[in-house]
Amino acid sequence: METPLTRWLCLGCGFSYDEALGLPEHGLPPGTRWTDVPDDWVCPDCGTPKSQFEMVEMGYADGGADLARIA
Amino acid sequence: MTKSFVLRSGERGHDVIYSDGSASSYVAGHPGSFIARESSFNFHQYQGGRPGFGTIRVFGDEVFNGAGCGYNMHPHHNFIICAFVLEGELTHINTAGRGMVDQLRQGDYYVFSAGSGGKHCELSISPENMNAIYLWLMPGQLYLPPSYHRAHFDIRTRRNRIVQLVGDADGALPVAQDLRVSRLVTDRAGRFTYTPRTPEHGVYVFVVDGGATVNEVALARRDSMGITGAGALALDVPDSSDVFFVETAMLDDARIRAWEKAHGADLID
Repeated sequence: METPLTRWLCLGCGFSYDEALGLPEHGLPPGTRWTDVPDDWVCPDCGTPKSQFEMVEMGYADGGADLARIA
Repeated sequence: MTKSFVLRSGERGHDVIYSDGSASSYVAGHPGSFIARESSFNFHQYQGGRPGFGTIRVFGDEVFNGAGCGYNMHPHHNFIICAFVLEGELTHINTAGRGMVDQLRQGDYYVFSAGSGGKHCELSISPENMNAIYLWLMPGQLYLPPSYHRAHFDIRTRRNRIVQLVGDADGALPVAQDLRVSRLVTDRAGRFTYTPRTPEHGVYVFVVDGGATVNEVALARRDSMGITGAGALALDVPDSSDVFFVETAMLDDARIRAWEKAHGADLID
């Protein structure tokens, strides 16, 4: 069975990366697994390195996923 | 089973960030201004400590030194950021809702939930130093509507009892998390009891000033401890003291678990 998609939070500023959504404007198509995000990738908002993101098991607030898609 | 750790004042992460040089776009103020930051948990360059406690990711004891010193406008998402002003005056600007400029003095505090995205700026405009406790919390959900609330804790009239500042009590500022922040300011010796809503909740106790003996552990100024599994905390306070309590739901977090496994001695059964 495929591993569920995960969500990650930047510990420098709170920016979230959602595997389901990816970051198309930053070259990461929807479905890009966190392990496939390059090791030298940094938070697009604050420059925090990938190693300082934390996996979170959190749902979106109402309407939040649509906002995250265009973040 | 009660578990606890003790973090002495001098064991905290220590950062000094200057308003000139490489951090000049991040730190405001005249050349020579600087922010001194003591971090109880990992933060930015400081990655040598405990990654967090429950929903707490940052507990920073910060001093803005010099006129105009602080953090320039910068973005956040999701984190709930609280500031409790101990000394000086903090000018806080944020973009939550219609946005706002606020000025906070001793006893004032705010809860800023960055939610779906917001910016903020933290400044000490006058030459007087500003000292605040900054607390960053994981939210209950991602992309909540951004919000800002502020209130005042009157140090003169609310002495010698534990007062809830953030949480679900009457008059406390609301927070979208299973969390309470309380404060005890005393001017005489006494014994106090702090009871978390369940023993499964963790309590992070931080002594701002004076001292306190918490469940028989003596804490001096700026010492702290975290406790889980305790039905109640017994505090003996010698005389004039100022103590913060952050009660939080405990998350099963892989980073914190891995850190505790690698530093077994720090988690005392």
